[in-house]
Amino acid sequence: MTRKALVVRLPFGLVLDTPVLSASGCYGAGLEGAAFGDLAALGALVTKTVTPRPRAGNPPPRIYETPCGMLNSIGLENPGVEAFLANDLQRALQQSRPLILNVGGESLEEYEAIVERVQGCGAVALEINLSCPNVQGGALPFSTDPAACELVVRRCRERSTLPFFVKLSPNVSTSLLLEVAAAAEAAGADGLTLINTLLGRAIDWRRRKPRLALGSGGLSGPAIKPVAIHCIASVRAKTRLPILGVGGAASAEDICEFLAAGADAVQVGTAQFRDPLAAVRLVQEVEDLLVGAETSASELTASTRAR
Amino acid sequence: MPQSCLHRVTENRALGGGSFVLRVAGPFEGVRAGQFCMLQSAELWLFLLPRPFSWFDVFEPGDTALRSDEATGAATFLGKVVGPGTARLAALEVGDELHVTGPLGRAWPSVEEGGPEPICIAGGVGLAPFLLWAKEGRAARKPVSLLYGGASAQALPAAGDFAATGADFHYATLDGSRGHRGSVLDLYRDLVGRGLLDGAAPVYCCGPDPMMEAVAAECRERGLRCVVSLETYMACGYGVCNGCTVEVRSAGRFAGRRYVKSCIEGPVFDSEELLWHASTAHG
Ligand SMILES: Cc1cc2nc3c(=O)[nH]c(=O)nc-3n(C[C@H](O)[C@H](O)[C@H](O)COP(=O)(O)OP(=O)(O)OC[C@H]3O[C@@H](n4cnc5c(N)ncnc54)[C@H](O)[C@@H]3O)c2cc1C
Ligand SMILES: Cc1cc2nc3c(=O)[nH]c(=O)nc-3n(C[C@H](O)[C@H](O)[C@H](O)COP(=O)(O)O)c2cc1C
Ligand code: FES
Repeated sequence: MTRKALVVRLPFGLVLDTPVLSASGCYGAGLEGAAFGDLAALGALVTKTVTPRPRAGNPPPRIYETPCGMLNSIGLENPGVEAFLANDLQRALQQSRPLILNVGGESLEEYEAIVERVQGCGAVALEINLSCPNVQGGALPFSTDPAACELVVRRCRERSTLPFFVKLSPNVSTSLLLEVAAAAEAAGADGLTLINTLLGRAIDWRRRKPRLALGSGGLSGPAIKPVAIHCIASVRAKTRLPILGVGGAASAEDICEFLAAGADAVQVGTAQFRDPLAAVRLVQEVEDLLVGAETSASELTASTRAR
Repeated sequence: MPQSCLHRVTENRALGGGSFVLRVAGPFEGVRAGQFCMLQSAELWLFLLPRPFSWFDVFEPGDTALRSDEATGAATFLGKVVGPGTARLAALEVGDELHVTGPLGRAWPSVEEGGPEPICIAGGVGLAPFLLWAKEGRAARKPVSLLYGGASAQALPAAGDFAATGADFHYATLDGSRGHRGSVLDLYRDLVGRGLLDGAAPVYCCGPDPMMEAVAAECRERGLRCVVSLETYMACGYGVCNGCTVEVRSAGRFAGRRYVKSCIEGPVFDSEELLWHASTAHG
């Protein structure tokens, strides 16, 4: 059943039944959540970042709770693309939800390699993670330097017939974010994902030690929602590209706020840790809110495009 | 199938010293001793992650211990206030809602066929995962031996809840206010030395990290199997955040691995599977 108030049609032909998606790194590939209930209502599942080589991840402790949010320093732990394709992909695709495969790397060559490797894998789109804060010498420059961003996105474009979103970092000034977003668009990105986590740190002052083993990490959860809304609204004012909004969404009100900021769809991350069915439950609540307000998801997003 | 839903609080019993037993109504199926769940009070206004708690007791429909408002069953959790999350759970009142996700994680391994009955060693609220184990023991085997230690008598709550299990309790307190004066490990050595406990039996242990590490070291020396239940910091509890990892020896079921998720592969581990210094770094 398509629900009129919820359906999202993206310009490159992708149709999402609802604007509520799961965020990368916060829901595996849906397999764990499916043990608790039916995920059929979700718009799409976004996988945890898959890299060309396996990554063991960072030493523990990797997470620490902060006011209305949490810090994480997972370090892109994943089994590597070959093991992912061999062991996890088929089961993930069988969830019958559109799969958006999030990929990452540590160098230009790695981005080229992984984008090439996953063509035809069955995902409806890719999300290219240019912005993980937890990998040393990792991808960050691609998300903070417009020229580097343009180069990596162009190389990915040349190698991808799959549509792709480019996931950007909020750890820059607004003007630099706009430059990086424009660079991604110019190089052929089909859409943008905003935002990845904010850099942050917590310290156990009694032990004079950071709470996370590696010192700093990425801040997520409701604490960062206003930052996400700001980034999305700022970028929306400059582009017609589809935007997947992410950062602190935890309620149906939040989802509608993201749409009204200019996001076409919204990913739910940290809120999924509270409840494996958090995003699934939001779908109905968002529909009720939109219908009650006599509007629709696409109308909310479009209201910002007109400006 | 594990569940993630709201349940109504039917009792919250304060035990002194910040300890409490929280009780909720609802069907809880398929819970095995040693497993845990994620608890979270229902209000959304202040965002907190859920907190991992061992299942203390579970009552199936028809159990005579159920009350009139618990027709579908009930479960209890033994807690101690150490921060904001546990403080909020301790403050819940009858009629409030609690979100419970579970059962999660690996249970205590079953007793080897014909092998000796494991000796249980608990520190403080580390007692929690042993009540269901003792109940199972009562039903299937013989009463379990439980060594229960803490700083003082006040740090040893809820032993009374074990009455129906026939568990054989031995107490140790650092200040001598209850049972043996000293640590549970001293007590263990003493009881084994006097032939009152089977010195060849495996040890199942749950408590503060330093205690578990000391017990694991003792068992290694004695060539005994030691099984521990780790209290790792967790965000999701169901395997999606990769935040709860512990460092393991690359051998046995973890061959080729460096980090494993405590919420999926644990919280119950054989102590020899763990690299202790790294796994308990947060302690
Ligand atoms: C599988 C599992 C089962 C558990 N079962 C029980 C139980 O039955 N009863 C019970 O009372 N507690 C149990 N715990 C521990 C409980 O989850 C923590 O005490 C709780 O999360 C602390 O939350 P808080 O907000 O009150 O404190 P916080 O502010 O989060 O922490 C207060 C202090 O406790 C430390 N801490 C926080 N979480 C943990 C943790 N998981 N392990 C060790 N130290 C921690 C922090 O570093 C800090 O120093 C269990 C933990 C796990 C992983
Ligand atoms: C534990 C954790 C792991 C994450 N892993 C990834 C990842 O592998 N790739 C990625 O692009 N983003 C990752 N993220 C970022 C989220 O997808 C999201 O952008 C961010 O958390 C903000 O959304 P939220 O507040 O809803 O969680 C991770 C976030 C968390 C909390
Ligand atoms: S607590 Fe999230 S993966 Fe274990």
